[in-house]
Amino acid sequence: MLICDEYLTPTSLEEAFAAMACHRGECRIVAGATDLLPWAREGRAGDVEIPTLIDVSKIPELHERRADGKRVRLGAATPIQRFLDDPALAAALPAMPRCAVWFADDQIRESATIGGNIVNASPAGDGIPPLMAHDAVVELAARRNGSIVRRKVPLVQFITGPGTTTLAPDELLVAIECDALAGYGGSFEKVGHRRSLVISIVCLAVLVQLDGAGRGFEDVRLAIGGIGPVPRRLTAVESFLGQGAVTAARLEQAAAMPVELVASRTRQAYRRDIVRGFMLRGLIDAVRAAGGGTLTPDLARDLEAVYA
Amino acid sequence: MPELRIEATVNGRKVARAAKPHLRLLDFLRDDLGYTGAKEGCGAGECGTCSVFVDGVLLKSCLVPVAKAQGTTIETVEGLGHAGGLTVLQQAFHKAGASQCGYCIPGMVMAATAALRANPLASREEIKERLGGNICRCTGYQKIFDAVELARDVRNGRRPASALAEEDPVDGAFIGASVRRLDAPSKVSGALKYAGDMVMPHMLHLAVLRSPHAHARIVSIDTSEAEAVSGVEGVITAVDVPGIDGFGVFVHDQPIMARGKVRYVGEQVAAVASEDPLVARRALARIKVVYETLPAVFDAHEAMRPGAPVLHDYAPDNIVKHIPIRVGDVEKGFAESDLIVEEIYSTQQVEHAYLEPEAGLAYVDHDGVVTIVSPSQNITHHRHMLSRIIAQPISKVRFIMSPVGGGFGGKEDMVYQGMLALMAMKTRRPVRLVFTREESIITTAKRHPSHTTYKMGLMRDGRIRAAAIKLVSDGGAYGMSTEGVMRKAAILAAGPYSIPNVKIDTYGVYTNNTPSGAFRSFGALQSQFATETHLDICAEKLGLDPFAIRRINAMRDGAVTHTKQTLKSVSMLRALDATEQVSRWETGAPTSRGDVRRDLAGEGTRPPCTLGTRFANSAGKDSESEVA
Repeated sequence: MLICDEYLTPTSLEEAFAAMACHRGECRIVAGATDLLPWAREGRAGDVEIPTLIDVSKIPELHERRADGKRVRLGAATPIQRFLDDPALAAALPAMPRCAVWFADDQIRESATIGGNIVNASPAGDGIPPLMAHDAVVELAARRNGSIVRRKVPLVQFITGPGTTTLAPDELLVAIECDALAGYGGSFEKVGHRRSLVISIVCLAVLVQLDGAGRGFEDVRLAIGGIGPVPRRLTAVESFLGQGAVTAARLEQAAAMPVELVASRTRQAYRRDIVRGFMLRGLIDAVRAAGGGTLTPDLARDLEAVYA
Repeated sequence: MPELRIEATVNGRKVARAAKPHLRLLDFLRDDLGYTGAKEGCGAGECGTCSVFVDGVLLKSCLVPVAKAQGTTIETVEGLGHAGGLTVLQQAFHKAGASQCGYCIPGMVMAATAALRANPLASREEIKERLGGNICRCTGYQKIFDAVELARDVRNGRRPASALAEEDPVDGAFIGASVRRLDAPSKVSGALKYAGDMVMPHMLHLAVLRSPHAHARIVSIDTSEAEAVSGVEGVITAVDVPGIDGFGVFVHDQPIMARGKVRYVGEQVAAVASEDPLVARRALARIKVVYETLPAVFDAHEAMRPGAPVLHDYAPDNIVKHIPIRVGDVEKGFAESDLIVEEIYSTQQVEHAYLEPEAGLAYVDHDGVVTIVSPSQNITHHRHMLSRIIAQPISKVRFIMSPVGGGFGGKEDMVYQGMLALMAMKTRRPVRLVFTREESIITTAKRHPSHTTYKMGLMRDGRIRAAAIKLVSDGGAYGMSTEGVMRKAAILAAGPYSIPNVKIDTYGVYTNNTPSGAFRSFGALQSQFATETHLDICAEKLGLDPFAIRRINAMRDGAVTHTKQTLKSVSMLRALDATEQVSRWETGAPTSRGDVRRDLAGEGTRPPCTLGTRFANSAGKDSESEVA
């Protein structure tokens, strides 16, 4: 049971920082609350008494959503469901709709926020691999010496371990900025114990852009979660794939590469099997999506061969 | 504690209330406003029984801090129909038989309403996807999906409104006709009150202190600090039991509250009542219990060994019940057999996971009758046991069975009703207890884990000559239904097969695990799993088709069972024929198949789970064509 004496709902960053300063050490930030409330139950944290909860989900700046041709800027309180139903976001972040549809369920996605998913820093946090693949940067803000100061940290550096980040106690995650990758083919793979409402055992985000001839990769971005303490980019696979044609043999070779990275605490053999399968299916789906139905016949044949 | 001021529109009415800041929207709707159509099944966003619309968006209200409701417009299941009427969707749930226990149904109706609002032409796959956050344990979901499809079609004019109406009885008879359930309207509308929805004036809330140890002697319990807490109206322990303590379905070995020692993690040790559930919960921490831990045993076989820790003085061998069955001479049968097959099978503990966690409301009425309202599956037996425990004549004990939000056998044991009675007697006020999901899982009976040693002797043509079966079940810390489960497991252990020589032993054993009890099939599942798996292995060894080996041995009309019951009519062969046909069984011994089985996949087979039906829709694939 989550017990608080006071629940504050600031409507501006100024108000939020004032509340944080006033209740330093005795407060906790809440946005969607979809992880906080289940956490404060028997078997996890048990009854938790926090003097003051500060709800940042009503701060307009944290709901900002902008996508131009190059960059996307997302307020930290953006609900996960927007990746599914906002066409501008879906176009700029091609792996995110699939990520969102596997995330919890329709109801929880309306409350759960992308910022919350990031600061939770779960090794299996679903929203993290796709954003890493977009070279996301998080914007952190604090009020120091009377004025609001901001800094930007690459997402891959922000998350330092299971549940740990470089967020300072007086800081808030206010926004995420990342590359807009319209025209890329995106895919997202996830497996858990059932279809809805599960934590990923492994999740994988793939984003690819084909070259003009449609036979090689112009760009490949891969990021994976659930196989170690933090989600990570698969840079070695990316550079391998970038240096040759898209063929069945090369995709199979690439799919086997991250298998050795599995360093989870449990179920390593199972995860190794999954990783290879996810890599193949994720790459194939992403290539097909990138091709938009105009794959060269030999590439289409090759993809079929990999599936068989 | 600065209270929040919540102003909102709920089901079309303006509401302005003070609310404690730690409440969830679910608490506010249920406890402060009385909208109990939203249920609490898990409190962790997993089950969907609490779904409500907030500003038109469906949310799980157990995950919404009440402060977020400020200034919003909220719609609960009670607000869907107008003036007590049912919406088309609710009528469709009624018609399709989509409600059984009903506890998940308000949430299902809300999620289905949201699905059809989002896409009035949603296909069955899309409906499934959009209802993914809601769990049902009774219906198997198909009736629910049928109902949503029916509502969709009626609303779109594809089926007439009369499709929602009661079908005429066939030739005036209701047998064979699809009859709507009489109690469904109360379930689909959220009107039905389960025990946890009921309130009485001046009602107290009960919170329970539970054992952290699997096996420990209780040296002392000091409740004085808890009793001194402002707002605490009563504290009870085993000393408050006035009569002969002990309940159980077969053996009365379980005290209302731990007496002298605790035997499993989660066993109730003390309980506190207060008008404010938070006060009661916090006061639990003020109860001082001194334990002296004892060696514990967690494995049924270990518990049967000499020198194992003893749970109950009356059973120094830790055996709850041993059921032996002897038919013919198994050793002779094995000697005559061409083939002996020996294997070991085990099954695991299983939680019932009914959507309604245990709840009850007790009061002492104006005539001094101790009254307990709870979803008990066995109220008459509970009444007799409680009468002895509280030393009251049977005329002064009354049990009222509230709607059972799923039981499956798990609500046969009187695990909490005694505490409610004691507290109502002590405080002379109505007392309510509602388990959290975690309490329900930790403290109530489970399906018996089992370990079966199977030895079977067969002739080369597949006839079974002899079977020796030993099934050892972990009964956990208390007897509950173990004896009955062992009886049924023994009766059915050798399956519906005519076997001339049979030796069966089933053992229910005390351990320091969570007690095992009744669960659908009541012992049959464990032994049938062993028998049927064993027959498949025997078929493989003999080069026989698995159906064939069963037909050779199946009991036929007039057969006598292993416990000497003559069966006038046996449907076994017909059931085998039907199963073989619908499964499109590929005939042959298990060893005869190559790499590919032709009877897998195909029509009627469930495809693997996928998501993303709505992507197909947005890509131009017309969901209407799927509908039509």
